[in-house]
Amino acid sequence: MNDAGNPSTAFDTAAAKAELSAFIAALGPRTAAVAPTPLPELGEDIRDVAADGALIERFTAAAAAAGMAVHRATPASCAEVLGRIVQQLPARHVFLTAQADTALTPALAEALGDTLRRLGVRLNSTPDDETLFTVDAAITGVAAAVAETGTLVCVSAPDSARGASLIPPVHVAVVAAGQLVADLCDLRTLWRTGADLPANVNLISGPSKTADIEGVLVTGMHGPGQVHVILLDG
Amino acid sequence: MSRSREFAARVRRALADERVTAAMRGTTWRKVTARAESLGALRDPERLRDLAAQIKQHTLERLPEYLTQFARQVQQAGGHVHPARDAAAARRLVCDLARQYGLKLAVKVKSMTTEEIGLNAALEAAGVEVFETDLGEFIIQLDHDRPSHIVSPIIHKDRRQVAAAMARELGCAYTEDPIALTRIARAYLRDVFRRCDLGISGTNFAVAETGTLCICTNEGNGRMSTTRPRVHVAIVGIEKIIPRLADLPVFLKLLSRSSTGQPLGSYTTLITGPKRPADRDGPQHLHVILLDNGRADILAGPFAEVLRCVRCGACLNACPVYRRIGGHAYDSVYPGPIGSLLTPLLDAAGDHYDLPFASSLCGACQTACPVRIDLPGLLLRMRAALHGGQPWSKRAAIRLWQWAMGSAATYQLGQRAMRAFLADDGAGWTTRGAGPLSRWLEARDLQRPPARSFRQIWEEYLSRE
Repeated sequence: MNDAGNPSTAFDTAAAKAELSAFIAALGPRTAAVAPTPLPELGEDIRDVAADGALIERFTAAAAAAGMAVHRATPASCAEVLGRIVQQLPARHVFLTAQADTALTPALAEALGDTLRRLGVRLNSTPDDETLFTVDAAITGVAAAVAETGTLVCVSAPDSARGASLIPPVHVAVVAAGQLVADLCDLRTLWRTGADLPANVNLISGPSKTADIEGVLVTGMHGPGQVHVILLDG
Repeated sequence: MSRSREFAARVRRALADERVTAAMRGTTWRKVTARAESLGALRDPERLRDLAAQIKQHTLERLPEYLTQFARQVQQAGGHVHPARDAAAARRLVCDLARQYGLKLAVKVKSMTTEEIGLNAALEAAGVEVFETDLGEFIIQLDHDRPSHIVSPIIHKDRRQVAAAMARELGCAYTEDPIALTRIARAYLRDVFRRCDLGISGTNFAVAETGTLCICTNEGNGRMSTTRPRVHVAIVGIEKIIPRLADLPVFLKLLSRSSTGQPLGSYTTLITGPKRPADRDGPQHLHVILLDNGRADILAGPFAEVLRCVRCGACLNACPVYRRIGGHAYDSVYPGPIGSLLTPLLDAAGDHYDLPFASSLCGACQTACPVRIDLPGLLLRMRAALHGGQPWSKRAAIRLWQWAMGSAATYQLGQRAMRAFLADDGAGWTTRGAGPLSRWLEARDLQRPPARSFRQIWEEYLSRE
C-alpha cells in the first residue's frame, strides 16, 4: 500500500467546485415541464406492517423465509443458546466484543465469553484482518431489526467493524425484541437527522447468496453462508 | 453487411442454440412467477409503483436542485464529487484517481454503469489490475464474454461452460457442481479482497437529503468492495438521485421483488461518506463521479421518462422477445425493452434503428415496470425517431404503401390485386405467397378478403334505394 499517496486535499479547489456547479447548472430545464410532478407525501399507506403489529412473529417468519435461523432466548438463557449454536457448527475460534447501543452489552458479552471459553472456544475481540479472515464465526449486536423483511440493521461505529458481520463464514446476531421496528418505513426514524447517519448502514436480510450458475441457489458467496439470530425477549 | 442483417443473423444464431434458449426460458419464467408472487404479498403494490414513478419523475424535473444538494451532502460527509460529461471523462477521472493514490488492485461491484463506460479496459491500460467480484461478472471476465442480462449476467451460460472457463483460467480441478464452483470463486476472490486498494461501484440510489449511496447485492460483493479497499470510487448516473431518505423504502420494497422476487436482497448497503476517524474499517477516501454520458440530452427530449429506470430487469424477464433471443442478440450493454430505448439514446451516433423493432408491443414490459415507464409507447415513438436509419428497401416499401393508401383509386386497385393474387388454402386463409410476401407469411396467416368489398356492397345498396 502506498499510504503516502493521499492527495485528497487537492480535490476541492475553487476550479473543481466551479466545474461541478457548471456541470449541474447545464442540466437545468431546457423546456419547462407542462405540469410539474409534485413530490408525494409519504404516509402510513405505504406501510406493510403496522407499528403495533405482532412484530416478533412477523420478524421470525420473515427472517426464516430469508434463510436465517432464528433462536428465541431470554437474556438469562442467551449464553446457553449460543453455546448450542457454536457446538453444532462447530466453531472453535470466535470473534466477540461488546457493542454500545446494541443488546450485546459488556455484561452480556462477558457472560457469553465465559460460556464459550468453558466450551473450549478460542475468543478474539480485535476486528483486524488476522482475526476476521480466520475465525469460524462472529457474534455481533445490531442497531435495530425490521420485522417486515426479517432484516438486521448493522451500522459502523468505533466498536462495530463493518467486516465483523461480513467476512467470517458464520454471523450470529444478538437482537433484543425491543429493537424491532415494524416496517422498512420506520428505518428513517432511527436517525434524527441525516448528519446522525453512520458512514455505513447494512440491512442484512439473509446469508450471502448467489444463483448466477443456472439459477441454483448457493449460500456463502462472499459474506457469511449462515446467519443465526438470537432473539432476546423478556 | 447492413446492421439490420447483422441483427437478424444474431437473432437466428441465438434461436439456433437450443441449450441457451431452454436455460433462458426456465430462468426468466421463474423470475416472472417469483416477481408476481412477492409483489402480491405487498399490501398495495400498485400504490407503491405510482409513488415510485412520481418520486423519480419529480426528481428528474428538478435534477439540478437535487444534484446540488446531493453533492453538498457527500462533501459534508467527507467525500469528493466529480462531474463527468461523457464516458471518456469518467474513465479518465478513475484512472487519474488510481494514479494519484498509487492504487494497483481494483475490485468491482457489479455495475451496469461501469459496463456502459467501458472502465475495465481503461484501468488495465493504466496499469491497474481489475477484478469483477459478482460471481456472474467474474465468470464473464474470466471467459472474455459479455453480460446478457442486467441482473443475471451469465443467464446464457450453463454449468459446463462455467466449469470449463474456471478450470482453464484459474487452473482449478474441473467440476460442474455449482456449489463447488462458487467455493472456488469465493476462495480466489477472498485473496483479492485481502490485498485490494481500490473499490469501484455504481449505485442503485443516491439520496440527496443525506448524500447517501445505496448499493443492493445478494452476494456481498457490494459490501466487500466498499469495506476492504482504502479508496472507494462510485460512478453515479445523474438519474440515480432520489430526494429523501424516507423515499428509499418505496424503492426497496419494489426493487428486489421486481428483480428476483425477494422481499429484500441479502445486503442493502447505505454509504454516507468515507469511514469516520474512529471507525474500525472502511475506505478512507470516497469519490463520487456524477456521470452524464448522454443523460442530459435524454432529459431534454421526448424520452426523458426512461431515466426513471431502476435497472431491476423485470422488463427483460417479462418480454417474450428477450426470453426467446437472449441478451447477446441486442448487441448492446442494456438489452431487452429498456435497452432498446437506452441504447439508441445513449449512443445517438450508432446505428440502432432495428432495436425498437425487437418487440411485439404486447405491453408485458410496462405491466412489470416498477416505475411505470411507458415502454411500448416509447418503443413506438423510437421506431419513428429512427426511421431514417432504415435500409432503402424498407423505406421505399413504406413510401409505396403511403402512396397506395393516399388515394381512393390506388387503394381500390390494391384491394382488387389482393383478391386476384392471394392464394386461398381452401379454408379461407392465405398461408403462402410469392416474392417478399413469402417471408412475411412465414409467421402469419392472412384471412381471405371477403368476395365483395364494403365499397361494392355500399354502392349496390345505394343503387337499390
